[in-house]
Amino acid sequence: MPQLEASVAIDFRSEAYRDAYSRINAIVIEGEKEANENYVKLAELLPDSKDQLLGLAKMESRHRKGFEACGRNLEVTPDMEFAQEFFASLHGNFQKAAAAGRVVTCLLIQSLIIECFAIAAYNIYIPVADDFARKITEGVVKDEYSHLNFGEEWLKANFDSSKAELEAANRENLPLVWQMLNQVEGDARILGMDKDALVEDFMIQYGEALSNIGFTTRDVMRLSAMGLAAA
Amino acid sequence: MFGLIGHLTSLEHAQLVARDLGYPEYADQGLDFWCSAPPQIVDDITVTSVTGQKIQGKYVESCFLPEMLATRRIKAATRKVINAMAHAQKHGINITALGGFSSIIFENFNLHQIQQVRNVTLEFERFTTGNTHTAYVICQQVEQAAPTVGIDLAKATVAVCGATGDIGSAVCRWLNAKTDVAELLLIARNQERLQDLQDELGRGKIMDLNEALPQADVIVWVASMPKGVEIDPVALKTPCLLIDGGYPKNLATKIQSPGIHVLNGGIVEHSLDIDWKIMNIVNMDVPARQLFACFAESMLLEFEKWYTNFSWGRNRITVEKMEQIGQVSVKHGFRPLLA
Repeated sequence: MPQLEASVAIDFRSEAYRDAYSRINAIVIEGEKEANENYVKLAELLPDSKDQLLGLAKMESRHRKGFEACGRNLEVTPDMEFAQEFFASLHGNFQKAAAAGRVVTCLLIQSLIIECFAIAAYNIYIPVADDFARKITEGVVKDEYSHLNFGEEWLKANFDSSKAELEAANRENLPLVWQMLNQVEGDARILGMDKDALVEDFMIQYGEALSNIGFTTRDVMRLSAMGLAAA
Repeated sequence: MFGLIGHLTSLEHAQLVARDLGYPEYADQGLDFWCSAPPQIVDDITVTSVTGQKIQGKYVESCFLPEMLATRRIKAATRKVINAMAHAQKHGINITALGGFSSIIFENFNLHQIQQVRNVTLEFERFTTGNTHTAYVICQQVEQAAPTVGIDLAKATVAVCGATGDIGSAVCRWLNAKTDVAELLLIARNQERLQDLQDELGRGKIMDLNEALPQADVIVWVASMPKGVEIDPVALKTPCLLIDGGYPKNLATKIQSPGIHVLNGGIVEHSLDIDWKIMNIVNMDVPARQLFACFAESMLLEFEKWYTNFSWGRNRITVEKMEQIGQVSVKHGFRPLLA
C-alpha cells in the first residue's frame, strides 16, 4: 500500500506564495463585491424577499472587508484588474439575465454556482490557510451556507416553472466555471489547494443543492458534470 | 436504514458501467475525472430476512478506483472514502459498511483523524468495516469446503496470507480456537506484527509466501493489494483449497488446475432474492443472492438494530464477536458461498 506523503509546510511570506495570493485574494474580494451587487439586484427582482436579500448583500460586503484584511496581513496587493477580467463572462451573464427579468438564471448563477464554488473553495482553503485568514474564512463559510439556502428554497418552491430555465442556465454557465478554475489552477496549487479537490467539493455542494431543489440523481449527475470533460 | 459504500474495480469497468447505466457524462472519462467525481447514491435496496423482516438500504458509489492507489493519487483516494461517508451520514443512513478498498484506505491512512468534512461531523459509530462477518464467513468456508474436496482439517496445514491484517488475524484466532487444524502458517510482510500474532496465538509458523504455499492444504488469501499476485499452481499440493478472500478477486480466473479448488472468499449467499440493481455490475455469479460478507454485516446490524461500529479499528476482532455475528447471519438466512 502506498503511503501518504507528508505535506510540505507552506511559507506564507514567500514571493511565490504572495504572488499567487495577489490573484486568488483579488478573486475572492471581487467575488464578494459582485455577490453584494447581485443580491441588491435580486432584491429589486424579488420584492417579497427584499429585506432578506438586502441582508445577504450586507453580509457579502462584510466578507469582502474580511478578505481585504487577509491580503493586507500578508502585505499583498490584490490584482483587481485580473479578478474583474476573471469574472467578466459570468458577471455579464448575470447582468443580461437581470435586465431581462430572468430571476431563475440570476439565482442559479449567484445563489447556486457562485455560492457553491465559494463554499468549496473556502472549505479546501481553510486547512491550508495562514492563521489570520483561517479565522476569517471559517466565519465566512458559515454565512455562505445560508446564502445557498436562500436560492435552494426559492427554486424548490418554484421548481416546476424553473426547471427548463435552470437547465438552460446551467448549460450556459457551468462550463464558464470550469474554464475559470483552469485559469487559476497553478495559483491555487501554490496555496495548497488541488484542482481535483476543488472540483469534487464543488460538485458535491452543487449536486446537493440541485437535489434539494428537486432534480433526480440522474439529472444531478448530468447537470453537475456539464462541460467538465471539455474544459 | 443500512448503507453500502462501494466502488468499481478499474477505470475500464467504471467506464463500462457508466455507459450501461446511461451516464454518458461519466463514461469515456479518464482517471482525472474520477478523481474529481462526487459520491452518489445509485441504488435503493430492499432485503427480506428468512424471518420475514424487511429492511431498506442505499448503495453509495464512492467513485474511488484502484488506479488512484496505483498512480499515487492518494489524496483523491482518501477524499473518496471520507466524502462517501459524509454522503451516507447526510442521507440519514444508520449503519454503513465500507466495502472493497474503502475500509483498507480508512485504516491505512488513519482517516479517523478527519472527523470534520465540510459542515458534517462524521459519527464513526454509524460505520462498520464489515470485517468481523467477512472473517467469520471465510472460516466457515474453510471448515465446510475442506471436507468436500477431501481435506481433513485435523491433518491439514492452513496458510493464511495477510495473517496480520484485520481479517487475517481474526481468521487465525478462529482457526486456532474453534477448529483442530493441524498446522497454521502465518504469512505477512511486517515481521514485528507476525511475531505479535504468533505470541498471541501461542502457535503458528512464520513463513515466506514461496516457502509456505507448497506445504499448504488450505490457503486463505486475505491480502489486499492494488495489483494481483501470480501464484504458480504447479507448486501447490493436490488437493488444495484456495480461499480467495482478497480484493479484488482474481485467483479463480488465474488458477485453473485439476485438484486446486478456488473459492471466492468472504462471499455470502442469501436465501431469498435481494431487490437491487447494483450487484449486477460487481460480477457475482448469482447477482440477486450473492454479496460481499462485509456488506451483509451492515444488513445484519440493521436487522438487529445494532447501530454501532461493530467492526472498527485494526486487530480487534474476537472469536466471540465472530460467533455473535455468525449467529445472526444464520438467523437471517445468509450462507457462506461453497461452490
